[in-house]
Amino acid sequence: MDTNALIQELADSAVPVRRLPAPWVRMLIWLALSVPILAAVIWLVMPSDINPVAAITDRRFLIEEAVLLVTALTASLAAFGSVVPGYDRRILLIPLLPFAVWLASLGEGCWRNWVALGTNGLTLRPDWDCLPPAILIGIVPSIAMVVMLRRGAPLIPRTSIALGALAVAALANLGLRVFHVGDASVMVLFWHLGGAAVLAGLAAFAGRRVLYWRHAAA
Amino acid sequence: MSESTERDQRFALLMRAAQAGDREAYARLLHELIPLLRRAVRRQRALLKPQDAEDLVQNILLSLHEARRSYDPTRPFLPWLMAIVRNRVADGARRYISRSAHEVVVDRLPETFSDADPNTIDGPYGDPEALRLAVKALPDGQRRAIELLKLREMSLKEAAAHSGASIAALKVSVHRGMTALRRMLAGKDP
Repeated sequence: MDTNALIQELADSAVPVRRLPAPWVRMLIWLALSVPILAAVIWLVMPSDINPVAAITDRRFLIEEAVLLVTALTASLAAFGSVVPGYDRRILLIPLLPFAVWLASLGEGCWRNWVALGTNGLTLRPDWDCLPPAILIGIVPSIAMVVMLRRGAPLIPRTSIALGALAVAALANLGLRVFHVGDASVMVLFWHLGGAAVLAGLAAFAGRRVLYWRHAAA
Repeated sequence: MSESTERDQRFALLMRAAQAGDREAYARLLHELIPLLRRAVRRQRALLKPQDAEDLVQNILLSLHEARRSYDPTRPFLPWLMAIVRNRVADGARRYISRSAHEVVVDRLPETFSDADPNTIDGPYGDPEALRLAVKALPDGQRRAIELLKLREMSLKEAAAHSGASIAALKVSVHRGMTALRRMLAGKDP
């Protein structure tokens, strides 16, 4: 096709479009869509033996929750920034900082358990009770994230989707951590962090199938 | 104000108008971008044939069109555009490399397939009368299936609607009919 004819065709098909809000605004929109589900699942599924007072006085629990929230916020901000052409790519590195703090806090917890309890403090056991709430918490933020990312430009699809998955995993962990107040850090390290890593890896693998230039696929 | 800043602002204004649905502004913007895009493509893919370079420019225009809602008019236009250009050029290079890896360079293109069956142009067509008799000798169901699917070239769906038989039954009948015909024409009984 002749380039002038293509321009004419594109111009003729140009309808008004709604501009994408800034990445930080989209981050807040995503959070506003996800938090009610998170709160509802926690409220519905929370075991009755969990003492909320003990939870809010547990310094480690509070630090982990804060770090998870910051990881979710920065990862979603980076994901939304990555689908805007020309946006500063340094934003992609920001989630690494809270992620590293989360990792360090879990590592330090494992160390303490090991010092206090020896190898008993590092025992792993499957915890399938966590799976249904994890799925319930994750569905809406995941769908919202994919739909919102697809409205942008798929410049680095794997990274965008992996960051989106990290944001969803961090948010889901924030909710799930409530069920694990006082749990051994190794359980959280293995199941929660491991789950987040697997989710982000799988999402990155599928990135090009989820985010792609539609005209090139047509 | 420098010339490039002025130009960037003009592009930003045109894009803002295009986002609001102004088709004239959009056409003007795209026409003004063409020399810029051609230069960028030539700079990044100097060895590309002219037609391939033009295809890439068109590809960039299509991507720009698809991504136009992601442009924020309060930000500079050219960094936004060039991010798309880099992405599409890199993608084009990736596809070119993967296509080249599967291509075999030959001096002369073969005129037909290397298999023996497609190269029997001098072979006999066979005896049409023998074929007619062989078809006639088939059981009713197989003959009907051969007539509808092979002689009248109907689709399975059409033949099923026409004959009242199921698609699965037609498939079985036509397969058995063809096997029987091959045997009969080779001089054996069905």
